[in-house]
Amino acid sequence: MEAIVQEVVKPEDLKKFEQRFNEQCLRGQPSATAQFEYAWCLVRSQSPSDLRKGTLLLQELFHKTADETAKRDYLFYLAVGHTRLKEYEKALKYAKAIQQVEPGNHQAREMTAYIEKKMKKEGLIGMAIVGGAAAVAFGALAGLGVALAKK
Amino acid sequence: MAAGPYNYSYIFKYIIIGDMGVGKSCLLHQFTEKKFMADCPHTIGVEFGTRIIEVAGQKIKLQIWDTAGQERFRAVTRSYYRGAAGALMVYDITTFIVRSTYNHLSSWLTDARNLTNPNTVIFLIGNKSDLEAQRDVTYEEAKQFADENGLMFLECSAKTGENVEEAFLDTAKKIYQNIQDGSLDLNAAESGVQHKPTTPRNTLSNDQPQSKDGCAC
Repeated sequence: MEAIVQEVVKPEDLKKFEQRFNEQCLRGQPSATAQFEYAWCLVRSQSPSDLRKGTLLLQELFHKTADETAKRDYLFYLAVGHTRLKEYEKALKYAKAIQQVEPGNHQAREMTAYIEKKMKKEGLIGMAIVGGAAAVAFGALAGLGVALAKK
Repeated sequence: MAAGPYNYSYIFKYIIIGDMGVGKSCLLHQFTEKKFMADCPHTIGVEFGTRIIEVAGQKIKLQIWDTAGQERFRAVTRSYYRGAAGALMVYDITTFIVRSTYNHLSSWLTDARNLTNPNTVIFLIGNKSDLEAQRDVTYEEAKQFADENGLMFLECSAKTGENVEEAFLDTAKKIYQNIQDGSLDLNAAESGVQHKPTTPRNTLSNDQPQSKDGCAC
């Protein structure tokens, strides 16, 4: 799942699908396909504002469609976008929502496990950085005790 | 197992393409996990899998991008074709939708040819060979299509595992052969192959950033 979540869009692809989407916007209502293609590129960008824009476009698509498969696809990339924004609570909510639509979906299951792992890992590091004696105790648990004691 | 910086000497990038429901993800799963995934839902976007194989005594890591067959994903998944050393083009031997199998295969093949480099090895896979009673595409006609277009070809079953290893391995052997005879230039952009020399120098350069990271706290 790491490879899927951390993969970065090629700038020329982002540009291409952005142009297609913008052209359709100028002519009126963009198609769901053009909006999804652009959003899928945005949620693989390294820029937080692109990630944000991608999640907003996906949310809009999600609310507009009645197609369950399409909803599932939008939820998955909402989870990707929010994971990359480090908004794990939201990401987890979307990943779990897919499992409600499709209980056996292994991509959703792997995504959920990946986000939970990230939360656990970054939560521990966060606590260690926040500092004080408590951090030393937690650090020791995380195997950081030796490094901290030397300082 | 941490003997060196890499326990393989090459990375080959593969893509798996073809219509929705032909069993692309099941083939990948059978190859990487040696298991059949029953009731597999339609893939969302792309999936990724890896496995280390051995060709002519060389360890090779296969990085496989499995693309969704749904039309919604078609335009964006095309960007995954670039830099593929191998392309597995899959069809279902039980669905011959009034000659459309040929049309579809031609369209997938055109995409693969246009978006990869001339040395990309394209392998045609007729999946679901376990469903002999429901066969709708004969071996001969598919073989003819493969021959006419210069593709490698096998019928496989993601369910029983029949010929699945062979398809992935034969593709790697052909890529490796192209490297050996010089027809595939490793320095060319988007060759789809990375060489990973296992020298001690790499161990050092690999360790340094790690130890720096470790001290950052």
